[in-house]
Amino acid sequence: MREIIKRAVEKGQKALSEYDSKRIIQQAGTPVTRERLAASRDEAVKMAREIGYPVVLKGCADTLTHKTELGMVRVGLGSDKDVEQAYDELMSRNVPVDGILVQEMIKGDREFVIGLTRDPQFGPCVMFGLGGIFTEVLQDVSFRVAPITEGDAEEMIDEIRTKKILGEFRGSPPVDRAVLVQSLVGIGNLGVEFEEIAEIDINPLIVRGGKPVAVDALVILRGAAESTNSKTA
Amino acid sequence: MSDLKGLFYPKSVAVVGASENVFKWGSIILTNIVDGGFGGKVYPVARGKDTVYGLKAYDSLKDVPEAVDLVMIATPASTVMGILADCVEMRINNIVVVSSGFSETGDEGREFEEKLIAFSESRGLNVVGPNTMGIANVKHGLYSMFSHIRLNSGGISIIAQSGNVGNQVMMWAEQQNIGISKFVGSGNEGVLRCEDYLEYFHRDEDTSVILFYVEGVDDGRTFIDVARRTSLEKPIIALKAGRTEIGSRAAQSHTGALSGSYRVFDGVMRQSGIIQAKTPTELLSLAAAFDSLPLPQGNRVGVITLGGGWGVITADECEERGLVLPPLPEDVFTRLDRMLPPFWSRGNPIDLVGQPDVNLFRESIEAVVASDAFDAVIFLGIIGSFQMALRFNEASCRLGQGSFDQLEVFEKTLSEMELAFLDNIIDLMETYKKPIYPVALVAKPGDASVHMREGYRHKVIIYKTPEEAVLCLEKQYKYYRYIKRQEEFLCVK
Repeated sequence: MREIIKRAVEKGQKALSEYDSKRIIQQAGTPVTRERLAASRDEAVKMAREIGYPVVLKGCADTLTHKTELGMVRVGLGSDKDVEQAYDELMSRNVPVDGILVQEMIKGDREFVIGLTRDPQFGPCVMFGLGGIFTEVLQDVSFRVAPITEGDAEEMIDEIRTKKILGEFRGSPPVDRAVLVQSLVGIGNLGVEFEEIAEIDINPLIVRGGKPVAVDALVILRGAAESTNSKTA
Repeated sequence: MSDLKGLFYPKSVAVVGASENVFKWGSIILTNIVDGGFGGKVYPVARGKDTVYGLKAYDSLKDVPEAVDLVMIATPASTVMGILADCVEMRINNIVVVSSGFSETGDEGREFEEKLIAFSESRGLNVVGPNTMGIANVKHGLYSMFSHIRLNSGGISIIAQSGNVGNQVMMWAEQQNIGISKFVGSGNEGVLRCEDYLEYFHRDEDTSVILFYVEGVDDGRTFIDVARRTSLEKPIIALKAGRTEIGSRAAQSHTGALSGSYRVFDGVMRQSGIIQAKTPTELLSLAAAFDSLPLPQGNRVGVITLGGGWGVITADECEERGLVLPPLPEDVFTRLDRMLPPFWSRGNPIDLVGQPDVNLFRESIEAVVASDAFDAVIFLGIIGSFQMALRFNEASCRLGQGSFDQLEVFEKTLSEMELAFLDNIIDLMETYKKPIYPVALVAKPGDASVHMREGYRHKVIIYKTPEEAVLCLEKQYKYYRYIKRQEEFLCVK
C-alpha cells in the first residue's frame, strides 16, 4: 500500500489509477470488484473467462479520472467476441492507458458513496451517503472527522435521510452494515495515516445481495486536489 | 492554557479610553461596570481628565496607584500596543481589547493584530478580542461589556463569536428570567480562542451549561478534543452560522475566522456531543432546559392535556423527534381512572377533557412521573388557565356583575395557587429525577418563563408552545444517550 502511494508521488501523479486506488481501499477494508489489468486482447479474454461473464472493460490510467466522459468504459460484455471488440475500441481511442481493466459486472439495486476529504480546519473527514448518479443532486451525505470509531460509522450511516433503503428493499436483503462500518473506519484511517492522500471517492459502492462492493474508486494525491474535480470535495 | 479566572473575577478594573460621551465605548463600558453594581474598584484612564463620571481619572495605566486585575481597552487600534506594554510593566495579565480596526478591516488591521498576538503570547497575556463587545460575570456583578443588561445569576455561560447574537440572547434571558453565569464575546480570537473559553467553563464551578454561537474555529483538532472532554460533563449547546452557502460567505466576511464547510462542522458537533440549535431562540431555550431540568433517562413520554387536539399535536411532534408515548401501565391507569371523570381518554396522551382542575393535574402528573414506564412528562394547559379565569371575571365585572375589589382578592388567590402548583412541580422533579415540561394555555407577553425556588436545584420552565417543549425534551434525551454511549465505549475500552 505504502509502496503504491510512494511510487505515484515520486512519479508526480495527481491521482492513482482505478486499479491502484482499489488495491489501496481493499487493503483498508472495502470490498472491491474482482478485476485484473490486461496488457493484450488475448489476456483480456482469458481474464474475462476467469472472472465470468458478463464483464466490464475500462481504460486504466492515473490520468483517467473521468472514464465515462471520455468513452473509456464498456459494460455488459457477455462473450469472448464482445470482449475482443471492446478491447480494440478502447485501444483505438488514443487515450494513454496502463492497460485495460477487466472487471466483473456488479448488478445491484442500491448505490452508496464513501469518501475522504480534507477540511482546512479539521483535517481528514470521512463521508458516507447515497451514491450513484443522484449523489450531487440529493446531497444526502454525512461527515465525521477521522479517525472514526465503529460507533461513529454506525451513526453516519443512520444520519442519511434515505437510510430506509439500507433495510430490506425490493426483495433484496438488508445491507450488510458491518461491511459499511469497516469500510468507513478504514477510509478514515487512510486519511490519518497517509498525508499524501488528499481525497478519496468510492462511487458507486453497489450493493449486491446485501453485500456492498466498490465498483469505481479514485484516490487523489496531495498537491493535486485543487486541480482535480472530486465529488467528495 | 492559562487560567482565565482572573479575567472573570477581578477585584479592580481599569477602563482605558474612558469617556463621558454616552455613545462612546469608553462610556458604555464604564457606566455598565459601575451601574451594574461591580463591588470592586474602577479606574477610568483618560488623558487630560481629572474625573470621569465622578471617578478619579488617570492619564495612563501607569499612574493608577493600586493593583489592577482587569484592563478594558477602548481606544483606537493603533494605540493598543502601547497600552499592552503598560500592562506588562504593571504586571497586569487580563486584558479585554474592545477596540476594532484589526484583522476584520483589512491589511493594516491584520498587521496590528499579528503584532498584538505575538506580543501577548510572548508575555503570556490573557487577551479577549480584539473587536469584542466584552465579558460579564453575573454572580460577581461584573458587566464589563457593551450590553446594558441585568441578569439573574444562573448556570448558563455564553461564548459568542458575534456580539450581536450574544447581545440578543442575553436580552431574551433578562426578559424571561433565565439565569446566566458568564458571557464572553470572543471577537477576532487573536489570542484566546473559543476552545480556551470552553476549557475554562468546563472547569468553572458556576457553569453548568455552555451556550456557544460559532462561526468557525481556527484549530479544528484542538477544538474537537476540548469539546469532547467538556461535553462529557457539561452540555454544550451550539448554533453554527453558515448553514447555507450564502450564509457561509457572510460568516467569512463577518469575522476573521474561517467558516469551514457546514456539513463537516455538523459531523464535528455530533462527534463531540455538542447539542445543535438551529436558531438563536432555540439556543437559549435549550440552554435554559439543560440548566433547569433533570436529564430524561429514556425517551418514553407521558402527555397530559387539557384537550384532545393539543395532545395529538404533541404526540406527532414526539414521534417525529424519536420520542415514544407508551400505553399506560395498569397501575397508572387504575390510579387515574379512580380520580378522573368517566369520559377521560383512558390512554396516553391523557386527555382530561377540559377539566382545568389543579388537583386533577397535580395528581395525574404525579401518577405518570412516579411510574417506571415513563422518563418524562409534558403537560398542557393548566398553567395560564388562571389567567383565563381572571379574564372571565373581569368581563363579568365590566358588565356590572361582581366587584373589582373582589377580583383583586381572586387574582391573589389564583396566583398563589399557581405558584404552589409550580413549587410542587419542582418537588416532583427533585423526587423522581425526571423532567417535567409544562406548556401554558395563556402566557402574558413578556411573562417570565422560569419559575425557581430558593434552595432547589431544578427550575420550572413554562413553555409557550408544545413544539418548543418537545424539542427541548428531544435534545436532552439525545444528550443523555450520547453520554451513555460514551460511557459504554470507555468501559469496553
